Amino acid sequence: MSEKKPGKAKRLKTADKLGKMIEAYYTESAMVKAQKKPVAWLTSVSPVEVCYAMDVFPVYPENYATMCAARKLSAEFCAEAETKGFSTDLCSYALNNFGSIYLDKGPFMGQGLPEPDMLIATEHACLSMAKWWEELSRHFNVPLYVVDAALPIGEGVTSYQIKYFADQLEELVDFVAEHSGNKFDIDRFKEVLKYSDEASQLFTEVGELRKTVPSPVSPIEIFTNMFPLVTLAGKKESVEFFKEFRDEIKGFADRGEAAVPNEKYRLLWDLFPLWYNLRLFSYMEEKGGVVVADVYATAFGGRIDISRPFEGLAERYVANPILTSGVPELIELYKQLVKDYSVDGVVFHSNRSCRMASMGQYDIKQGIYEDLGVPGAIFESDFVDPRSYSDEQVKDTLDSFFEILESREK
Amino acid sequence: MMITDFEEKYAKRHEIASQWKKDGKKVFGYFCGYAPEELIDAAGIMPVRIMGSLDKVSLADAHLQSFICAFSRSCLDLGLRGVYDYLDGIVVPKTCDITRKMLGIWSKNIEVPFTAFIGAPAKKTDAAVECLLEEYRDLRSKLEDFTGEKIDDASIDRSIRTYNQSRKLLKELYELRKEDTFPFLGSDFYQVVKAGFVTPKEEYNEMLSKLKDKLASSKSAGDGKVRLLVSGSTFEDVNVLKMIEEVGGSIVSDDLCVGRRSFWDLVEPGSDPIRSLADRYQMRIACPCRHPSDDRLHKLIEEVKEYRVQGVISIVQKYCDTHLFEYPYMRDLLQKNDIPFLYLETEDRLGEEGQFKTRVQAFIEMLR
Repeated sequence: MSEKKPGKAKRLKTADKLGKMIEAYYTESAMVKAQKKPVAWLTSVSPVEVCYAMDVFPVYPENYATMCAARKLSAEFCAEAETKGFSTDLCSYALNNFGSIYLDKGPFMGQGLPEPDMLIATEHACLSMAKWWEELSRHFNVPLYVVDAALPIGEGVTSYQIKYFADQLEELVDFVAEHSGNKFDIDRFKEVLKYSDEASQLFTEVGELRKTVPSPVSPIEIFTNMFPLVTLAGKKESVEFFKEFRDEIKGFADRGEAAVPNEKYRLLWDLFPLWYNLRLFSYMEEKGGVVVADVYATAFGGRIDISRPFEGLAERYVANPILTSGVPELIELYKQLVKDYSVDGVVFHSNRSCRMASMGQYDIKQGIYEDLGVPGAIFESDFVDPRSYSDEQVKDTLDSFFEILESREK
Repeated sequence: MMITDFEEKYAKRHEIASQWKKDGKKVFGYFCGYAPEELIDAAGIMPVRIMGSLDKVSLADAHLQSFICAFSRSCLDLGLRGVYDYLDGIVVPKTCDITRKMLGIWSKNIEVPFTAFIGAPAKKTDAAVECLLEEYRDLRSKLEDFTGEKIDDASIDRSIRTYNQSRKLLKELYELRKEDTFPFLGSDFYQVVKAGFVTPKEEYNEMLSKLKDKLASSKSAGDGKVRLLVSGSTFEDVNVLKMIEEVGGSIVSDDLCVGRRSFWDLVEPGSDPIRSLADRYQMRIACPCRHPSDDRLHKLIEEVKEYRVQGVISIVQKYCDTHLFEYPYMRDLLQKNDIPFLYLETEDRLGEEGQFKTRVQAFIEMLR
């Protein structure tokens, strides 16, 4: 991705390993159809563990969109989707996906994703996902299962909300069995859940290590490592990878070594990276601003109680603090992060593609400032579609923000 | 009873509600047609639907990005300006992502004594009804805690019957437009519907009955005009519909959030009234926020035949993701059924009228 001079951050050994894992996954994805392995497309925050437990190859068009953006293909794909009548205001993850399907092109060996035999979606991270997957279901004429959540915004998850989701997970197992011809084995499922849980715990441990001053890891590593965390959730190799990653970061922390030299300002990042421009983090780092905390990665953590596999998995996916919080609760959550991670300033990426995540940022920024005196800056952009990205404007906003941070230091 | 009486109810809704407050009545606002009004009503609280206005948005800009729909911006703006200060509470069901996030922004910035979020499921299944039923039971006890009085089943049942009566009367009026001529302009019908969002249902039912009687003899609208169905999300500006009529269209049926979708399905009374409510709101004709939501399009196609519709005009809020995602599907579906289709995206301001008018005019000319 941003292999050409990644700011001043130090390159990790595990970064090379990650590259190989991504390559291996997409190489496999190019071959699954020939191997007659069933393929499912999943939205993020979907129970991929069911797929791994049932030998179904999972494909994440959202992760794929980040790859397309990094390889500079997303503008063309989004534009192609628009020619079919999809509004430019829609989520660019979706537009990128539609465009790559219509053009049958992609960043890996030039081809698109392997066609799905079935589709699996959730709609509680955002409603666009269910709508996008409905369109995929019509396009490919393949069955779709939506795991629906009753969400308690700001009011605490109830047992019937967990039950509703958990019961659907059991239905999903039948759905996958029917459309893959593969059998479900509860022990295999529990093993997959164990790996998924271990990987997210290791990732959470890395999150804890980021509290160290100076930060032992750069945000680019965190964001690119979302791939094994999400796409490979439930695979043993993901656990092995995160062990090595954790150890490497712990080494930095133990030695008191900074991942980014000259850490002057510790920043909280909200929420999505600009996948076509991860170098923006390097730009901030050159000015001494290091992202040490973010809420995006936190959203994919959470434990799984394996003794109650379906309820346990339901709790992990539904009782997600980012998704179940209203703005007042989010302000408290962010304030806690600011305190725990010794944050000097908050940078908000107001992402035109994600109304769900961006709405409330003005109030959160104000709330943090009023209660803790920690300032924030907001800039508008898109996470995958670079067509209206203004490098100058974004950098202007960041520059003024660093001036504010500097003046406060005195 | 005239259409203008309904128009006035809506136009003066804030004054009227403030007067209720002075008279000691509690008033709740709700977002979206998926809020179970009957339950609020059964608690002795007057439910009103939170709507926007055509005023220029000023204060909401500090809280919402420009890529949030004009309808939501306008609602919040009125709240920030104190227009909704008479509300004792707000109830929000989980429907679109914006509505879901709105409650927290509202409660952080505007003082309101009671808030409740209903984690409504999106699917039309029995399990979803069961889940919604639990949500409603929670809401029921929250309302009881708030008022200090039990809500008994008989009260819910009474509310159900009153609300059903409104729906039946609205359906009767709606169906008058099956004929070549009918006693009111299509656009007037939506003034009538909107008055229902803010008027106590007993009073509203009386108004509807009187209107129906008065209209029985006259038949003046629709003659020789191009018969149209209007589809889309919520919108504030009924003038858009008037403009369609001015250039030769007649609105004979709809698939609107602020039209048929809001009142079409009745509650089936049963031994457990709160279950009847859950059943109605979960299984009602779907908004695109629901999964799946094809039933609204199939109903639309049925109505095209039933109401002898010559063309469909879609009026969608800019930035309304769920409607936007379904647009190409809807376009292709209508094309397959040989139904002419015009798609308009609005930011809820008549400022765009000039451009709209030309397109609508051309569409209607084509259908003549």
